[in-house]
Amino acid sequence: MKKSFRDFLSELEDAGELARVKKPVDLRDVSALLSQSSRALICENLKEYPGWQLAGALVSSRKRLALAMGCPENDVALRFEKGLERLIEPVMVKDAPCQEVVLKGKDVDLTAIPYPLMHVFDGGPYLSATLVVSKDPEFGRNLGSYRLMYRTPTETGIDLVSPSDMRLYYQRRLDQGKPLEIAVAIGVHPFEMLAASYKAPINMDEYAVAGGLHGEPVPLVKCKTVDLEVPADAELVLEGELLPMGWTADEGPFGEFSQISGDVKWNPIFRVKCITHRRNPIFYLLQMPWENDWLAAPVTEAAGLRALRNASVQPVAIRAPVGSCGYWTLIASIRKRPGEGKNALLALLSVAEVKLAIVTDEDINIHDPDDVDWALTFRVQADRDLIVVHDARGKHIDPSIKAWELGKGGLPTTAKLGIDATIPEGVPKKFYKRIEYYGRNRVKLKDYL
Amino acid sequence: MSPLALKIYRELATKPQQFAEIADAHRAVAWRDFLRAWGEIREKNVLQRGDDGEYLIPKARKKPAKR
Repeated sequence: MKKSFRDFLSELEDAGELARVKKPVDLRDVSALLSQSSRALICENLKEYPGWQLAGALVSSRKRLALAMGCPENDVALRFEKGLERLIEPVMVKDAPCQEVVLKGKDVDLTAIPYPLMHVFDGGPYLSATLVVSKDPEFGRNLGSYRLMYRTPTETGIDLVSPSDMRLYYQRRLDQGKPLEIAVAIGVHPFEMLAASYKAPINMDEYAVAGGLHGEPVPLVKCKTVDLEVPADAELVLEGELLPMGWTADEGPFGEFSQISGDVKWNPIFRVKCITHRRNPIFYLLQMPWENDWLAAPVTEAAGLRALRNASVQPVAIRAPVGSCGYWTLIASIRKRPGEGKNALLALLSVAEVKLAIVTDEDINIHDPDDVDWALTFRVQADRDLIVVHDARGKHIDPSIKAWELGKGGLPTTAKLGIDATIPEGVPKKFYKRIEYYGRNRVKLKDYL
Repeated sequence: MSPLALKIYRELATKPQQFAEIADAHRAVAWRDFLRAWGEIREKNVLQRGDDGEYLIPKARKKPAKR
């Protein structure tokens, strides 16, 4: 049986990375508690929500991400890439924990689930840990993760501004004047969340990606009111449709994964027709921006590795720093042949919205920012080693591209920068010989303390 | 509208506020009751947004009737 959300919570607890809050907690205080904890938290006693628990800040560090993925911290990209190499199709089951309680019609009430207010400038309470499922008759099933802002007991906003497969599905239904059915699963294993974040080719089923990451199929169950399938072991599921109204309803701001409070956007509305959940559900509050950023990193890094290999460049290591939200910057070390510093940059800059790429030789430890700075300092000449690409695809939440000037539904572009920090062709390696301390291999400090 | 929704409506008609400011002003109310009241106001389609995301209700609008 593949690992569930609850299995991951147990793993965190066993590793000393999770704390339990047993005192009663007001939902309005949860975000503040999570922000002060160095460990993941479970609030076992939520005021106003008997029977519910709340878990959050689960993958707020690279250490906890590595725990989720079952690999060393610096190998998360390789681990993700390995999962992509062996897709495993999901299996259907009939009975599912996520449907132990089914609420339809007048029983649908979003105020009955712990819908938290997370940040000072948010436009309302938000669901952040969403696995959103949609389907298109031509392109098939799609998974993504989209934030949902509370509007009424049966409606939420949804941020569907950025280019995505689901945005395309919605646009195609909108052109016919019809709604798009979606299902939202909350409280799934991080592998499902990673698969949803992965920009898979449009005809690839991300459930098969999640299966590849688990090493076994993801059990799915049919939804109760829409023609979609959700992970059977999810904690909570919302079923419904995106109304055929286009990008016309105010949504946001929300504490974005860019670590910025964001802006009001214009988006569609999600109408909820059915809520299903476990009998004693654990609500998952994905802590922005850290959990989003750490979950983004292996996806960006794996895309970078793939781009490098497609360009016949041999990567040694790759990192999407959390300072770039695991998304906008890629730093890679390569086993370089002449000219491949630039080839590597061109490959890395083709990844999604990556706007800064740095390439070093394999002797640089790219997981050490000081070592990268050293390479930038002594291996780069600005008139020779920089590449600037104009008008590539950008992302709205980067303020430097002035997306607010685009109007409703407009798509932004961005400039991209590549820095070749490999040893320049024609400069002998001997000029980069590092200092070595005399006697270091012979003399041991511990023998003197 | 419920009394709570009407109260929030009047506050927003008087002064634009961020959602968190409105929530803070009603900490004494149960969160679920507050969300239901917010939903009532949403359903009236009267809310507008300021430049910084604050909610406001233009004064020219007629006050909603008490339920």
